[in-house]
Parts: sequence; C-alpha cells; structure tokens
Amino acid sequence: MKSELMSNGAIHNCAERTSAHPIRHVYVHIPFCARICPYCAFYKERADPAQTERFCLALLAELESSGLRLNLQPETIFFGGGTPTALSTSPLRELIQGFGDLLDLTKLVEWTVEANPGSVSPAKAQMLRSLGVNRISLGVQSWDDQLLAVLGREHSAAQAELSVQILREAGFTNLNIDLMFGLPGQTAAQWEATLARTIALQPEHVSAYCLTYEEDTEFFLRRARGELRADEQTDAQFFELAMQALGSAGYRHYEISNYARAGYASHHNRGYWAGEDYLGIGPSAFSTIGLQRSQNVPDYRVYSDRVQAGESLTSSEEALTPQIKRSESIALSLRTSEGIPSHWLDSWNDEREEFLSLGLIRQDNARVRLTERGKLLADSVAAAFV
Amino acid sequence: MSIERTRNFCIIAHIDHGKTTLSDRLLERTGTIHERDRQDQLLDSMDLERERGITIKAHPVTMRYRSKVGESYLLNLIDTPGHVDFAYEVSRSLAACEGALLIVDAAQGVEAQTVANIHLAHKQGLTIVPVINKIDLPNADLPAVHRQLEEILQIPAEEALEASAKMGIGIEEILEAVVHRIPAPQKPVDDTLRGLVFDSVFDIYRGVVAYVRVFSGNIKADQAVKLMSNDSRYEIKEVGVFTPKMLAQAGLKAGDVGYFIANIKTTADIKIGDTITDQRNPAREALPGFQEIHPMVFSGIYPINTADFEHLKTAIGKLRLNDSAFVYQPESSVALGFGFRCGFLGLLHMEIIQERLRREYDMDIIATSPSVIYEVLTTRKELLLVDNPAHLPDPSVIDEIREPIVKAYVLCPNENIGDILQLILEKRGTMDHTESLDTRRVMLHCELPLNEILVDFNDKIKSVTRGYGSMDYEHAGYRAAKLVKLDLLVNGEPVDAFSMIVHRDRADARGRQLAAKLKEVIPQQLYQVAIQAAIGGKIIARESVSALRKNVTAKCYGGDITRKRKLLEKQKEGKKRMKSIGKINIPQEAFIQVLKTQ
Ligand SMILES: Nc1nc2c(ncn2[C@@H]2O[C@H](COP(=O)(O)OP(=O)(O)OP(=O)(O)O)[C@@H](O)[C@H]2O)c(=O)[nH]1
Ligand SMILES: C[S@@+](CC[C@H](N)C(=O)[O-])C[C@H]1O[C@@H](n2cnc3c(N)ncnc32)[C@H](O)[C@@H]1O
Ligand code: SF4
Ligand SMILES: [Mg+2]
Repeated sequence: MKSELMSNGAIHNCAERTSAHPIRHVYVHIPFCARICPYCAFYKERADPAQTERFCLALLAELESSGLRLNLQPETIFFGGGTPTALSTSPLRELIQGFGDLLDLTKLVEWTVEANPGSVSPAKAQMLRSLGVNRISLGVQSWDDQLLAVLGREHSAAQAELSVQILREAGFTNLNIDLMFGLPGQTAAQWEATLARTIALQPEHVSAYCLTYEEDTEFFLRRARGELRADEQTDAQFFELAMQALGSAGYRHYEISNYARAGYASHHNRGYWAGEDYLGIGPSAFSTIGLQRSQNVPDYRVYSDRVQAGESLTSSEEALTPQIKRSESIALSLRTSEGIPSHWLDSWNDEREEFLSLGLIRQDNARVRLTERGKLLADSVAAAFV
Repeated sequence: MSIERTRNFCIIAHIDHGKTTLSDRLLERTGTIHERDRQDQLLDSMDLERERGITIKAHPVTMRYRSKVGESYLLNLIDTPGHVDFAYEVSRSLAACEGALLIVDAAQGVEAQTVANIHLAHKQGLTIVPVINKIDLPNADLPAVHRQLEEILQIPAEEALEASAKMGIGIEEILEAVVHRIPAPQKPVDDTLRGLVFDSVFDIYRGVVAYVRVFSGNIKADQAVKLMSNDSRYEIKEVGVFTPKMLAQAGLKAGDVGYFIANIKTTADIKIGDTITDQRNPAREALPGFQEIHPMVFSGIYPINTADFEHLKTAIGKLRLNDSAFVYQPESSVALGFGFRCGFLGLLHMEIIQERLRREYDMDIIATSPSVIYEVLTTRKELLLVDNPAHLPDPSVIDEIREPIVKAYVLCPNENIGDILQLILEKRGTMDHTESLDTRRVMLHCELPLNEILVDFNDKIKSVTRGYGSMDYEHAGYRAAKLVKLDLLVNGEPVDAFSMIVHRDRADARGRQLAAKLKEVIPQQLYQVAIQAAIGGKIIARESVSALRKNVTAKCYGGDITRKRKLLEKQKEGKKRMKSIGKINIPQEAFIQVLKTQ
C-alpha cells in the first residue's frame, strides 16, 4: 500500500515538473503537397494558395499559445509534412521568421526543413539558410526515373540532383537524402545504383526506408488486389545492401533506417528515440509531454478554425504510464546503435538468452544491441519486451 | 374430450418436404394460433431451427377441431425432424401416436427418409395418411408421385391427399382424414397410470419438462409418481398440454399427450422411453420403451483461450441438460490444453452443439476432426474402444482395428447408378444389391464405413443426382480394416490434436495434404519450422516453413511511436493466443484451418 502511494506521488511530482520542464524539440507539420504520392499515409492535401496565409497565421498562433503554457527551449526544430517547401517563398519566409520571433533560439542546434526535389528554388534555399535553417531533408526516394514514375513522383532524378546542387550552393552543409527501397519492380542492380549515386553526392545523412504498404493508401489497395507484390526476401536483401554500401562509404548505421557521417546524426530524431518530450505544431502533429501524448486535429481547415476560435486543437489523447514509457524506450532504443542497458531486460532473461542464441542481439559493455540480422527482425525482438 | 374423440398423430417425411409448414396450416385452421401470432414454421421455435430452416426436436401441440359434420375432436400433433441425425426423435414420437401423416414432396417424390420413416411407422402399427405436398410447385409431378407411392411404398394411389401447405390447399381434407382414418386411442384395460415418457426438455425456470403420452389412468398435480426403470419417486408439480406453449391442465387422462413437471433435476435423470406410474397403485409392467441411442461421432472441444475452460465446462453441462443424446467427458491435449471429448449422433448434431456453444454461450472454441469409435484388438486379445485417435495404442501391440459399418440405402434415378456406384467405391463401400423401385428409380443397398459417410457423402449424392438422390443408413456393427494412425509433427513433436485414424491406402495422400496445409497456415517464426506427416513413426511427407527474415517497422518518429507500440502489443497478444509446441508458435487459426481440411 505504502509503495503504491509513493509511486503515485512520484508521477504527480513528475507531472508538476513538466510544465516547468524545458521542451527541447518542436515539430511543425505543413500538410501541403504539389502532388499526392500513392504510397503516402501522412496527413497531406493539395496546396490551396487561398488558404495558406490563414494557415500559417494559425501555426504561429498555436506556437504562441503553446509558449505561454510550456517552457519552450528548442534545441531542434523540424518542419515536416507533407512538403514544407510546397509553400512559396514569401509565406514560408514569414512562417520561419515568425518562429524566430516567438522562440528563444539561443539553444538551437538543428533546424531541419523537409523538401521535395523541384520545390527548392535558389531563392527559397537561400532564404531558409539565411533565417537559420541549417539542415535540409530532401525526398529523393530513388535515382531511377522509371521507379520515380512508379512512385508517382513529380520530379526526375536530374531535378533531384539539381536540387542537391542548389542546396549546397545556398550553403547547406548538413543535407539528408531520403531513399526508399523494396519498390514495385525494383531490382538489386537498381537499388545498388541508387545507393552509389547517393554516396557520390556525399550527403551528410541518408535515410533509407523500406517501402511500407500503409493502410488507406492506393499502394495498399493495389497490393491487396494483387497488382503489387511485396517480397520479404528481397526487402531483406536490399536492407543488407544498404547497410553494406553506406557502411563502407563511411556512414554510421545509427538507427534502423538512418545513416550519418560522424557528427551528423539527427538531433531531432534522437530526441524521439530517447523518449524526450516534444511539442508538435500544426494539423495531425503529435506531442508527447511527460506522460501525455496528444494529436492535433488532422484537417488544416478545422485546425485553422479552431485556432481562430481559441478552441482546443486536440483530436486524441493518450495517457502513458511509466511502464508504457519503459517498453517504448526499449523498442525505440533497441533500434539505435546505442542499444539499451542490459539490465533493462533483467525481467526477460529467457527471451534475452533466446535472442542471444539466435544471434539477433549481442551483449557487450553491459549494453544490448541488435546484430545485423537482428536489425531485420527488430519488431520480433521488441515485441517480446512490451 | 372423450378418448373416442382424441386423435394422436405425427407428421413424418424426408427432410424439407414441408412437415413444419403443414403444421402451421393445421394450427391456423383449427384456431390453435391466432392470425396475429402467425409466423412461418412456428413450431421450429429454437433459434437454430429457425436459422437453418430445419426441425431438430420433435414438437407436440394440442389442437381442437370441429369436423365437417360438427363433431369436436382433440388432436395431438407431433411435428418431427427429417434429418437422419435426429431419426430417434421420429421413432419416439411415433410411439406416442396411433397415426402418421406421411408427407411427400410433389416435385422430389419419395426419398430415402420417406422409405425409412414409413418402415418405422409400420413397425409400430400406425395408420398412415399419405399427403402429397407442394402441389403448387411448377415442377410438381403428381402422376409420378402417385406411382412411386404405389410401387415403392405399396400405398394405393387413391389414399393419397393432395395439398399445398404453402398455399393452404387441402388442409380441411387432411384434418377430415385424420379424424376419420386414424383410429382413436385404445380404451385402457384398467385405470392404473401408465404414461410413456417420449421426450424431455430442460427449462431453466422449471427444470425438466417431460413429454408424456398417457396410455391408461390419470396424471395430475400433487400426485405421487415413480419412474419404473429406476424406481425414482417424484411428486408431480404440474401437468399440461402444448398449445404450442405449455398450458397447465387439471390433469391428463388415457389417450392424452402433454407434459408433466416434477422435481427432476436434469434430463439425464429421466430415461426417455421410461414409464411413469402411480406410487400407490403402480403398474406391474412398464410400457415397451426405446432402444438406447448411442453417440456415433466424437470430437474434442477446447476453449481457444485456455482460461475459459471452466466457462466451457458450465456451458457444455447446460447443453447436456437439454440433450441427453449428447455426451462428454473431460480430456486434455498437449496442443490444445484442457477440453472435452464429446459424442454426437451425427455431424449435424455436432455442428449444432458447437454452434450453440459459440452463440448462446459466447464461447470461442476449437473442435478436433470428427472421429468414430474404433474397436482395437490388442495382441494380448484385449478389446479397446478408441474414440480419440491420440489414444490409439502403439501399432506393435495392435492385432486388429475394427471400424463401425453402416448399412446404407441410396435412392437415386436410374441414370445416376454409375456415378453413385463409383462414389460408394470411393468411400470404401461394398454393394449388396440393387432394388428397382419403379421404372425410373433404384434403391442401392450397400455397406460403408461410417467414417467415410460422415462428412460429405450426402452432399455428394445430392450433387451427383442434382438433388434427386437421397440416402439413409442404419448401424451395422464393426468390421476389421487396414487402419493406421496418421500423425503430424512440428519440429519433431507430434501434435496430438491433428492425429487421425485413416485407411492405409489413403494415409499418404492425406498426410501430404495436411502437411501442405499446415505449411500454409503456420506463420514464419524466428527459426525454420519442419512439418512432417508420419504413420507409425515412418515419415511420409515433409514440408518446411522458412525462418522469418524481416520484421521491422521502417519509420519511427512522433506519432509512429504509439502505432508501433500498438503493433508490438498486437504481435505479443497474438503470440499469447498461439499454442507453443516444441518452441513453435501455432496460431489457433492454423488448428482451425487444418482441422477443417477435408
Ligand atoms: N412451394 C411450396 N413450398 C413449400 C410447401 N410446403 C413447404 N414448403 C417449403 O419447403 C421448405 C421446407 O419446409 P419445412 O416445413 O421447414 O419442411 P420440414 O419437412 O419441416 O423440414 P425438416 O423439419 O427440416 O425436415 C420451406 O422453404 C417451405 O416454405 C408447399 O406446399 N409449397
Ligand atoms: C514525411 S515524408 C515527406 C517527405 C517529402 N514530402 C517527400 O515526399 O519527399 C518523409 C519520407 O518518408 C518516406 N516515406 C513516405 N511514405 C513512405 C512509405 N509508405 N513507406 C516508406 N517510406 C515512406 C519517404 O522517403 C519520404 O521522403
Ligand atoms: S510522400 Fe511526400 S510528397 Fe508525396 S504525398 Fe507524401 S508528403 Fe507529399
Ligand atoms: Mg420441420
């Protein structure tokens, strides 16, 4: 009885502290895209220029009111989407400036903006760089025009290469290239070529995602109808190809889908994986603050209306428990190259032994990490510890 | 009503020839039910009966009828099921009656159960009133049905009434024939109470309700009675008739059909076919009873969630209260945990029980493949009865395995004889003789292993004959056969729930088929899974499920974290619902799929 009271007290304390606790990561969701990709499950819509101004004002208003409630001391800001660069230069400038005005940026180390090839003009790139954005994540996906067409992408490989040049010329020294593999019809040779061309461009960071057939997407339906085929063996092989190619090119595989040159691992994403608090601004954005996780309404018109009316933006909430936090930490940290302290698994000795004997995890310096094979089976491993 | 003005009759027919629909019309025409209470197949009152559109239990109902010449009669009708599994309900009902309406579908004509039922009725000396039903059907063929009645059943054509239960045609004539052709119950020799318990149901509020036909004497509330088979004594709480709802009466007298309620706890406490008599003035001899019925088909029933065992036990117990033909005893399986080995009259009976457990008791259950009872003669000359393939002794100590045999009667159009013979051969049957029934149809008399006809024999006959063939069977003892136990092994460990007894000549094909099915339904694991089919230790088929290579979420940011956690929870939950056999996790679904493979 006593210990229960004490632990309740601890939660309470912790909740009290959160309001004063500095929040170091801010995510901003810009839900506009020039064209909708058939595999994408993020909240996004075709951009409507008539609505963007009101929307950008709403974002700033949300940020402002959050700033009153919370102690915001951003070390990282991440503009994701959708496609933030789908906003034209001037509204985007006002938005970025607004963030600079409203936030104390003295602790800021990383400000990322996601961009689609073809949506970054030299002027836009320079504007972003000059206002403090220091990292661009470019959605290249593939260097194969044929596969870009399969993906329904708007840009060609040549345009993507031009975008890299523009960004470099604008002074970006921290560039991420997003790639996807396991695409319909993709061959090992095509994937190897895409990896090689990526490496040749020397980005500081590469994200290589295995194509996921997300529910409610056209690709999902087409796979259900048998038009598209996903093959676990090929996916696994491509994953291994990525680990080899990027590894030997000097990129550290620091998370399942992420590779970086020394010093360029994403601070923002590290925050997620370390279970740190983050504030999400914009429609559909998630925030996790203390033991409270919530999501904003996923419709930018409703979102803008509610901001204007001063109404709550939350569409769903989830109260986490320390246990949930703990199992999330295990699952997320296991995905990273740091792994987890071995003692976290002390109550799962049998499972730990089994995974060790199957060669899915290894244990050294009192830490448990996934092996190469284990990385391919990260969910099977993590599922044992939820 | 005096005994001279009482008529007791049942309605018998092949399945679906319209017995229950005709009962509707009789109930309406006699004013037993009112217009506002009308509903189709009113007597099929159980949910399952209504849903499947078939009668499962015999339903008695008492009606009053004023004949054309103005005389009042008391009519006791018993609607009976047509399906073979419930044939025993027919013979019991016949014992309570003096006559039977034999319904024949005007389009289908005489079918196997028509023949079987008329034999039963003749054996009991009942007067038969033939009724050709469904004359409204466009493909009704009255001359042909008349011919069949004469040639197959030796019923003079002019005796047959023509009716459409659906359209309400010929109902009056049927009622008139009932009162004029069917004799009144015999006058009792004395006034000692002799009542035949011909069925029973369990009512949660009132306990056991016994269906009774009084042959002599009276029975009324507060009377001290006893059951003659075991001398158990009771005090009558209530007697009454079915209208079709139970309606209490002051008493029942010789010739009446109705029910009584005493303090009988379960239907197992009252033997169907028992005679009830008065404690102070007991009858000296019991009325002839019925042959006991024995379950013929066995299957293991297990809760999907092992924690539900107690719940399942209660549910099965309750079903048994109402169905003494259903038997069970606890058993356990390495693969499925604790459950029950259950015995049924046939496959339909089995399906019904399983469905009631799922529906009425909300149980998630899994059932092993149906099996018959085998006789096993050991090398030490012991005779074992084996109703669970997993319990078959080692082949080295088996001298001989015998399987139950049935005598089957297949009625089919001449042009299908070839196909039916082929089917009988496929089912390891032997032909006895062929009897031509009329110019167009024959009755094939054959013997078949019960096991072979359980699953799809009837369906195959229907499909080969485009619905015109039918079959009936009776049990005909045991015969030795080349039977073996087929085991399925997962990573070297036999999965007892999959064991089955099959004929040696079929075993290889069956083993390959099941191993292939299992490969399809076992999800990939972290290691390779070997699947084998074996007969007495000899591997006859092997398959393998390759190890899972990739199971990893690509993206894990912001909102993905909750999604990912839920996904992992689901994976873990799924694993909990799997049975772990030799480290391999087999989902319940896999068991269900494999057990369903025919
Ligand atoms: N056209 C036509 N259909 C009928 C007639 N009588 C019954 N039916 C139909 O035949 C089907 C079977 O009728 P039931 O009364 O359930 O038959 P049953 O003999 O009681 O069936 P079981 O109890 O399962 O053996 C139903 O679809 C009825 O509507 C009739 O006179 N004409
Ligand atoms: C938030 S998205 C948006 C980025 C940008 N709008 C674009 O499309 O280039 C970031 C990355 O997620 C990846 N992605 C999107 N949908 C995916 C899917 N169904 N499966 C795997 N990766 C996906 C793509 O690599 C994409 O660049
Ligand atoms: S993948 Fe990127 S560009 Fe395509 S619809 Fe999604 S967010 Fe928009
Ligand atoms: Mg019926």
